[in-house]
Amino acid sequence: MSQSTKPSASRITLGGTLLTLLAYLVAIVMFFPLLWMILTAFKTEQQAMSIVPQFIFTPTWQSFHDAIFQGSAYTHYAWNSLITAVGSTFLGLLLTIPAAYAMAFYPSKRTDFTLVWMVSTKFIPAVGVLIPIFLVFRSSGLLDTRFGLLMLYTSMNMPIMIWMIYSYFKEVPKEIIEAADIDGAGTLQTMLRVILPLALPGLTSTALLVTILAWNESFWSIMITNHNAATLATYIASFRSAEGLYWAKLSAGSVLASAPIIVLGWCAQRQMVRGLTFGAVK
Amino acid sequence: MGKASLLTSERRNRSARGTQVRRERVRSAWLFLSPLLVGLLVVAGWPLLRTLWFSFTDANLTQLDQAQWIGVENYLYYQDGAFYGVLADPDWWNSVYNTLFFTVITVSLEVVVGVIVALILNANFKGRVWVRAAILIPWAIPTVVSAQMWLWMFNDQFGIINYLLMGVGIISEPLAWTASSSLSMWAVIIVDVWKATPFVALLVLAAMQMLPSDCYEAAKVDGIHPMRVFFRVTLPLITPALLVAIIFRVLDALRVFDLVYVLTSNSSSTMTMSVYARQQLVEFQDVGYGSAASTILFVVISLIAVVYLYLGRRQLGISS
Repeated sequence: MSQSTKPSASRITLGGTLLTLLAYLVAIVMFFPLLWMILTAFKTEQQAMSIVPQFIFTPTWQSFHDAIFQGSAYTHYAWNSLITAVGSTFLGLLLTIPAAYAMAFYPSKRTDFTLVWMVSTKFIPAVGVLIPIFLVFRSSGLLDTRFGLLMLYTSMNMPIMIWMIYSYFKEVPKEIIEAADIDGAGTLQTMLRVILPLALPGLTSTALLVTILAWNESFWSIMITNHNAATLATYIASFRSAEGLYWAKLSAGSVLASAPIIVLGWCAQRQMVRGLTFGAVK
Repeated sequence: MGKASLLTSERRNRSARGTQVRRERVRSAWLFLSPLLVGLLVVAGWPLLRTLWFSFTDANLTQLDQAQWIGVENYLYYQDGAFYGVLADPDWWNSVYNTLFFTVITVSLEVVVGVIVALILNANFKGRVWVRAAILIPWAIPTVVSAQMWLWMFNDQFGIINYLLMGVGIISEPLAWTASSSLSMWAVIIVDVWKATPFVALLVLAAMQMLPSDCYEAAKVDGIHPMRVFFRVTLPLITPALLVAIIFRVLDALRVFDLVYVLTSNSSSTMTMSVYARQQLVEFQDVGYGSAASTILFVVISLIAVVYLYLGRRQLGISS
């Protein structure tokens, strides 16, 4: 099995076939829940609830139709998800790029400590700051607003962003900065014209990762939004309290909620892998 | 990095212009850093301190203004022959046990399965791109969505899992996966392993792809058994990547909330520390008591993280 690096032609025998089969088995197990969700989404509620699960049936768009048009649910939540995910990514980049730049290129004695402190805010369990944040949001009218949620997502993703962007900046050779200095470029100019283009692939994977994390976030969106700013995660989670036949509609909603991520991931697989593993995969 | 910056700063010191440039540097460095520092203090530092303060009061969500300082009574106090407080609450200790059980089992499974999957992905076979894409999916889709999907598949009457298991003959009658007290924790574990194994696998795969291939060729020429090569060569070399994957998974597992909440709600057989704290804070509106639980949770997580990073400092390449 660990004949990993370079299988020679003669090795493609029984072991090779077994390995291929094993790989396909893993892929099927991983993919099956999604496949089942997609199949359920195209069933009627009665078909979904059949005692013998049906693999072959006449597909219907009814559940998608219901999920999108009944009470204009999906579009409202999707819009909120989009605004908060993309908005928090932009705000996050705006805040973390200069900070990471300062720490990577002008380090001081306190840089290591600052970096560790920033990353350590990730240890905080969300429930541990729930009430204070809820109170601040209540008194400043941010409860159930997209802007409030957007700010929470920005701060939630900051530690990861600063860490990743810092490590990408560290890979840029110091000489380039010095050359820019000699040519008389100012700090801001060096950052925007020289360093950012060089670190662009890394920044792209960072942006992709935090957009996905914000899109998928559910704790804060359930806790501090009600309807106005509720995201798709809240919408999907709310199905738990619903009564009666709702599995096909839930599946359709879930497919619609994950579709943007899957499409995004498909188009930018390499960047996404790099982002999801925090820059470890080059 | 230290040497390079030392050299450049020496060079700069030589001219007056250099000093001026450096001063401007420091100023813009602080300018660049401050928005982020202020932001983190406002959304992380201050709320955490406020929670700490609440944990020493009898604050209630409906009457927060009348909160009175009561010392450590939320944590532990003794009255008329009995102990009270979070640390004397059997439900709290049950949630601690559940969280630790969940963390140990899921992280171990994710590491073992993740390494195996990485070994498979590292080999050459037809359709590798597709397999890798399929493996990405569980990690990328929203946790709430996967929790709902599995809830549906675990459904005792109409769920596909009971149907398949009965079809193969492993079980003879439908199991109540998410409702039964003995099974529900395992249901949560299965979903978490399904969801997080890809993350471990991808990190380990990245490390494997950077390994020198000549070691393997030498081992092959010497006719060393692949298992031996794995334990003697591959495993030691991928240990740093594994340690990074483990700390991320441990921190996430210790704080686990949404998966448990969607799959089994407030059921005591799966209640984790985060779910316990939320129930106290939101449903019982006992801000003081819930804050004490949250504070203990934070302390436990920080302690584990610090001890882990200290023990693994050499492998992880942490200098100080």
